[in-house]
Amino acid sequence: MYQKILIAFLSALIFSCGPSKFVKPLEKNQHAGTVSLGGPLIKYGNATTPIPFFTGTYGYGIDSTLTGFASLNITSALYGNLQMELGATKQLLKQQHFLPAFSFSPVINFIYHDSKSYKVYPQLDLNAFWEYGKHKNYIYVGVNNWFELASKKAYGISQENHWFVSPMIGHSFNNAKWNINIEAKIIAPNLSNEKLVVDYQTPLKHRGAFGLYLSYTRKF
Amino acid sequence: MKKLIYTFIAFVSLSSCLRLDDNLFNQNKLSEYKLDNYTGEVDFILPNTYDIPSNLIHTFQLHSQSPSEASSTTIYAIYIGDIATIATDTVIMYCHGNKDHMDFYWPRAKLLANTVSKNHYGVLMIDYRGYGMSEGKPTEDGLYADVDAAIKWLSLSGLTNDRLMIYGFSLGTAPATKISANNNYSMKPSKLMLEAPFASAEVMVQDQTGLALPGTTVTDLKINNGEEIKKVQQPFLWIHGEADDFININTHGVVVYNNYNGSYKEGHRIANAGHSTIETTLGFQEYLQIIGNFIRR
Repeated sequence: MYQKILIAFLSALIFSCGPSKFVKPLEKNQHAGTVSLGGPLIKYGNATTPIPFFTGTYGYGIDSTLTGFASLNITSALYGNLQMELGATKQLLKQQHFLPAFSFSPVINFIYHDSKSYKVYPQLDLNAFWEYGKHKNYIYVGVNNWFELASKKAYGISQENHWFVSPMIGHSFNNAKWNINIEAKIIAPNLSNEKLVVDYQTPLKHRGAFGLYLSYTRKF
Repeated sequence: MKKLIYTFIAFVSLSSCLRLDDNLFNQNKLSEYKLDNYTGEVDFILPNTYDIPSNLIHTFQLHSQSPSEASSTTIYAIYIGDIATIATDTVIMYCHGNKDHMDFYWPRAKLLANTVSKNHYGVLMIDYRGYGMSEGKPTEDGLYADVDAAIKWLSLSGLTNDRLMIYGFSLGTAPATKISANNNYSMKPSKLMLEAPFASAEVMVQDQTGLALPGTTVTDLKINNGEEIKKVQQPFLWIHGEADDFININTHGVVVYNNYNGSYKEGHRIANAGHSTIETTLGFQEYLQIIGNFIRR
């Protein structure tokens, strides 16, 4: 066995690391703090376990259809990186019976280690969600899109993959003061995982990875 | 809000001490070397015809000290061959990989000792600091210092540069390349052999993430065979499995091979071989023939 858990950790540290942020916008002038834990499932020894990822997010309801947010990857910070997501969620369509509400979240994900080591990744989340019940719990599906803009890697090796697509499904349990969110995500099913050291555990076997996430949001 | 911002800045400032570097070394400790009697996992088992007579197996200690260290570290070495004839023999310095210790690599060292014919060349192998019975903790500088301590011992035993060959496997390709490329070590090998070399820590990060990400975001390791190989002038042999799922042949091995600008190079891409299966995929004799032909050319 190589140090698979550590390399898996390294891999997941940067990329598609957290769950969706604010699928449904906050109320106008509402504040919210979210902590999230979870990551891609890997095989470690005989067990299947998610890589533990820890992120903290702050959101603010600019109006009832637009929420701005900033998220800090705490696990990455422990490795000396300032890795943040800055973005906004805009709701475009309201739910009409069985037709879902629709929102999208453009995000800038940047990682900074020092003046020679930094990267910026644009990200775009597309979400559809259905509310139900008196607490307005909702189920959602969506697609997370990461974009690698660089054309070359080290030694001039061509960067072949520029679009990392990750479909997800989740459920949010709501209360006036808090939400609890669970999410499952198929990370980058358009990419092969066969030439990696990490044994990703995914229903698609040799494609991408499968992530599980749990989040708690406190609204104030 | 101010408090939140200050807390955030303090957290980021104070939290930059963790790195993956120490954890990337995959050593295991031993209380004794068992060699042929070792029952743990190994990559392959050699037939008895490759056995080494016990009078040609020498286990001993060396003292290694990098330029930045105030005191030396005791490491362990195994020499296969007749120590009394090092002054006239050709010796292969074998730099093992990242995993485990010399018991794990014993079949590989034995195999090399049978290059050309039985016990034809001397083979020296060490456990880097922190590996096997060697004291201390693995570091990048320690890798180079430990191999330098080994070749210094060879030099003191009468070996000259023209009869020193250096062979690196996986992680061991870093000290093998570095020592071949630079003049500030105890000896300068006359030929360099690299099995499954990696290009750099950054390529490793980029391969695993799929992104063009700076390697320094997760590691301070400066290992860079892709650059060091440009300074190597000695003849160079590269051997790499095309099915290597740990160190990709195209993003690592080919870069190292293409960046070599020295006097002679030969490359062997082994179809269907993985990171640790070149010898078994090729067959032991064919593998030894490649090594032997290169050393004797």
